[in-house]
Amino acid sequence: MVEKQMMGHHVDRSICAWFWHQYNHHRNNDQMSVVTSPTHYLFPLIRHGIIFLACTQLELPPLLPIEFLSRFADILSDYLCAGSGAGATLNEDIVKDNFVIVYEVLDEMMDNGFPLTTEPNLLKDIVLPPNLVTKVLHAVTGNSSPSVGPTLPHAAASTVPWRSTHPKTTTNEVYVNLVEQLDASVNWDGNLRRCQVYGEIQVNSSLPGFPDLTLSFTNPSLLNDVRFHPCVRFRPWESSQVLSFVPPDGHFKLMTYRVKELKKIPIYVKPQLTSDSGNCRISALVGVRNDPGKTIDSIIVEFQLPPCITSADLTSNHGTVDILADKTCRWSIGQIPKDKLPSLSGNLVLEPGLDRLHVAPTFQVRFKIMGIAMSGLQIDKLDVKNMPANPYKGFRAQTQAGDYEFRS
Amino acid sequence: MAPPVSTPKSASPSQPSGKSEVTDLKLQLRQLAGSRAPGADDAKRDLFKRVISCMTVGIDVSPAFSEMVMCSATSDVVLKKMCYLYVGNYARCNPDLALLTINFLQKDCHDQDPTIRGLALRSLCSLRVQNLVEYLVAPLAAGLKDHSSYVRTVAAIGVLKLYHISATMCHDSDFPAALKALMLSDPDAQVVANCLYSLLEIWTQDAANSDEAAREIETLYGKSIIYYLLNRIKDFSEWAQCLVLDLVSKYIPSDNNEIFDMMNLLEDRLQHANGAVVLATIKVFLHLTMSMTDVHQQVYERIKAPLLTLVGAGSPEQSYAVLCHLHLLVMRAPMLFSSDYKHFYCQFSDPSYVKKLKLEMLTAIANESNTYEIVTELCEYAGNVDVPIARESIRAVGKIALQQYDVNAIVDRLLQFLEMEKDYVTAETLVLVKDLLRKYPQWSHDCIAVVGNISSNSIQEPKAKAALIWMLGEYSQDMMDAPYVLESLVENWEEEHSPEVRLHLLTAVMRCFFKRAPETQKALGAALAAGLADNNQDVHDRALFYYRLLQYDVAVAERVVNPPKQAVSVFADTQSSEIKDRIFDEFNSLSVVYQKPSYLFTDKEHRGPFEFSENLSNLAIGGDSGDDVIHSAQRYEENDKDLLLSTSDKEENGGPTHNGSSTYSAPSDVNSSRSLVSSSTTQPAAFAIDDLLGLGVLDTPVLPPPPALSLNAKPVLDPGTFQKKWGQLTVSSSQESTLSIQGVASLTAPQSLIKHMQNNSIQCIASGGQPPNYKFFFFAQKEGSSSFFLVECIVNTASAKAQIKIKADDASASDAFASLFQSALSNFGSS
Repeated sequence: MVEKQMMGHHVDRSICAWFWHQYNHHRNNDQMSVVTSPTHYLFPLIRHGIIFLACTQLELPPLLPIEFLSRFADILSDYLCAGSGAGATLNEDIVKDNFVIVYEVLDEMMDNGFPLTTEPNLLKDIVLPPNLVTKVLHAVTGNSSPSVGPTLPHAAASTVPWRSTHPKTTTNEVYVNLVEQLDASVNWDGNLRRCQVYGEIQVNSSLPGFPDLTLSFTNPSLLNDVRFHPCVRFRPWESSQVLSFVPPDGHFKLMTYRVKELKKIPIYVKPQLTSDSGNCRISALVGVRNDPGKTIDSIIVEFQLPPCITSADLTSNHGTVDILADKTCRWSIGQIPKDKLPSLSGNLVLEPGLDRLHVAPTFQVRFKIMGIAMSGLQIDKLDVKNMPANPYKGFRAQTQAGDYEFRS
Repeated sequence: MAPPVSTPKSASPSQPSGKSEVTDLKLQLRQLAGSRAPGADDAKRDLFKRVISCMTVGIDVSPAFSEMVMCSATSDVVLKKMCYLYVGNYARCNPDLALLTINFLQKDCHDQDPTIRGLALRSLCSLRVQNLVEYLVAPLAAGLKDHSSYVRTVAAIGVLKLYHISATMCHDSDFPAALKALMLSDPDAQVVANCLYSLLEIWTQDAANSDEAAREIETLYGKSIIYYLLNRIKDFSEWAQCLVLDLVSKYIPSDNNEIFDMMNLLEDRLQHANGAVVLATIKVFLHLTMSMTDVHQQVYERIKAPLLTLVGAGSPEQSYAVLCHLHLLVMRAPMLFSSDYKHFYCQFSDPSYVKKLKLEMLTAIANESNTYEIVTELCEYAGNVDVPIARESIRAVGKIALQQYDVNAIVDRLLQFLEMEKDYVTAETLVLVKDLLRKYPQWSHDCIAVVGNISSNSIQEPKAKAALIWMLGEYSQDMMDAPYVLESLVENWEEEHSPEVRLHLLTAVMRCFFKRAPETQKALGAALAAGLADNNQDVHDRALFYYRLLQYDVAVAERVVNPPKQAVSVFADTQSSEIKDRIFDEFNSLSVVYQKPSYLFTDKEHRGPFEFSENLSNLAIGGDSGDDVIHSAQRYEENDKDLLLSTSDKEENGGPTHNGSSTYSAPSDVNSSRSLVSSSTTQPAAFAIDDLLGLGVLDTPVLPPPPALSLNAKPVLDPGTFQKKWGQLTVSSSQESTLSIQGVASLTAPQSLIKHMQNNSIQCIASGGQPPNYKFFFFAQKEGSSSFFLVECIVNTASAKAQIKIKADDASASDAFASLFQSALSNFGSS
């Protein structure tokens, strides 16, 4: 447990015990995003199994602590996991091993309950992340280099606070990655109830100097609503729908957008349930509807078995079917084979006394399509100005399922 | 001398073995303290890490304080940071030892490295030790003028910390003025933001006591500063933008052009990546356009898209908070969202609290054009695995039916629900059909046909059963077997435990009797007999009432029980529009999430967060005792103009925050739970019951030295009676009294005097006012009699005078009481 008292008055630790009690108590139910305790209002945020908890006694904009905590969680995992290899996620042990860093970062991020510096680039100038280099250096020389930057960030006073004025990049490249999340829900009769896309443009830039980038789309009119990283200039977007910006160094989210009312979905599931005299026949068929032209990967169909079911016997002609401890049935398909349609069938036994199944499970589908953005958004070109040499530019796109569900 | 490298006893530094570990650490630190050997810093660093890990897991390592300070003379920045952290944590408990750290912190404040200067200053200000305040002023003043913006940002917040430790010191050093100058001139946006933040807090707290601070607050909200901040808004960090936007939302522009200029300037903030900024901007927009109806509508159109994106794109925590705001807007202007209904469809993976909000919104935005779609969607949820949501969605269908004129299709769907044969679906539907029939009696034929097929045995829930019984009674002429169903229900009277069902059963049998007397007579007799023998007071009374009514005149009874019915046109709304408006004014705050205006849940905290929280560390969170003491003391602190008004609505103030105990809205509850707490410690339980009816008694009263007139230590008088008595009685004694110097000094808040007077068996019923003027209403009761003394006491702390007006039931004793009161008042502060 790491705590930091922000205001003059002391918040007792027992609040955490209280919260923990409540949390365990309601573990199976839903957690609210604001919890009222006898003395404080608590904002819990759960990431990677670690709970970040903020307390307040005063009225305040609710998104402030929530946003701050999620930002803090992001930065912390950025700090602590970058050193320990790719794919690592934040966990208790990492936090324990690096609690000094946690304190240092928190100290810089917030003072007296007021958020201070939250730009990762700036923070890294003040508090050095525990990276491989310092570790090696430490091991070789026996002389630990301080985890505190020797100088203050200059950018604190510059006009673009997100970019340090002397980024130490050796490469000269920029990657633009379109990541879309497709939400859809389909009724039992196959009617598409709604379908929309949330997208993100992630940029990984390692460009020296003070580059000025312009990103344009072939079909910007698709976008329903957009939100920008602070580095994006607003005027060019207003007048000609191009993104003009001076990028921060490293990985960042340039823009998030939403496209609503899509008409096509790439994958469909046809579930069928018939029940009589205490048994329920279930069958589900998965297929590709509007072929996106790329392979659909890691397809998983999940559904919750209703509580009134005592046993289930399910088989499939492709992929594996598991029934998890919480009565979730997971059917991992992977890719759809060319020669047949994957189908699941089986029998559910209802509780004694029940004749028919009254509840209808919802089938949730997860998948990933590389190389295409389902919304149809396309990047036209990326211009880089203010650069001595032409950098390498890379583009990628990817669509994955968000809340993608089929009702039965 | 090479220091011995630490050999930790426990394998992992995060699992220290406790006390011996601390002494061990102490010893090792002491050995290292003077060492200049190479590598000493590394050894120290390991030790410091262990100390801090002990601190983190909750072991008290404060005994090592002096050793830590000795070791802190180092040039290593990491060591310094850890040391600052340690010192900041334990200085409060060891104010004397904290003095040791001042020296090196002050030295660090002049370090060449701005990072160290800033860190040292921050730590210095975070010590929060009262008697070290004098050492703070000089470094702070230097920090505000530092050429590094980092140090200035730290110093700006440091001033606020100083203010919380010693407000006078802060003012004496003229820091607010310096902050203001810095705010208006500093090139660094973060410095400006921190200055603004500190100033807002300092002046807001001061505003209660000083006109000057109130004027300064006015200037902060004034045009020049608002414009200054707005023009720089893009320079600020996102958090500072939230602060500025909050300030702007309180600004009242002079004309429409100004409003449009501001909105144009801020429009791009709606596309900020940070949801908090977006929401703050929306608040500004809504407030700016409040008076311009058509623009206000356009604003709704404009903010719709960002809000909907925020709901979908953020983490579940964010999306819930945003959804609450959206909910508020939808409730205010459902028409504007009617085409966006698809956004409020529930996803299977939504948590149920989100689903609930979405259902409410779907209900609100249903209109002629989208009802079909929405109701179809809602019917899907009725089969949902999540039973509470299934119920909720059925209720939503019913509510939509009650809103619409064209209910044909909806009634059909509701009746289909009844055929689903799921007990909870049937139960919910029955309640709805009942409500629907009350509003649209013309549908009775269709409904009755279906309802008649439902067996009353299959329904368990009292509400549903009551609804069914109501329908049986109301439409008994159309339902062939109504009397027989009712009769069998009456026969099973004993098995029906809910009083609600029994009450409905009585009424239904009565109604049925007037429509189909011969068939019902037997059932009526049985029902009345069972009702009369019932344990429940209401049931008993109603049965008796019907019985006597029938005895008196059957025709009259029929008029009473079966009057011609009028269709209900509007069902009562649960939340008044005033409250809704209030919540809307508090847009972008917790009130929206709680769906309550903030005064209902934060008042207690607003009044005194600081003295209140000092006690907190001593209290167990599980018990509400701490809250109650404060709460009952502050209940009396009503505003002057509210004095003597019924206090019932204010009793709710603390209610919502008293989680988990019985302290909700009833006025006596506060006392009951408090006295329960105290009864377990000092008082016998019988005493606590006595207290139940009384008003708060904070301390076990110490009886005053026996004067000629002795007072009841625990008088009981409710505010209503007090008010009445005050109106009836004439002033029997009016005097002016002088307070002692100590008394004036201790009267920083009304509670201190209230507490003192209670020790003298004089209870306070209401108090209020702002320094220097306080107003109190006291009362006391003569021992062994019912005669009360009522006192109005106006205290002016500036002149140390108190104006006393006494009214008494027994005027003859009023002089004796007056002298008693005066002596009690003059003793104030000396005890």
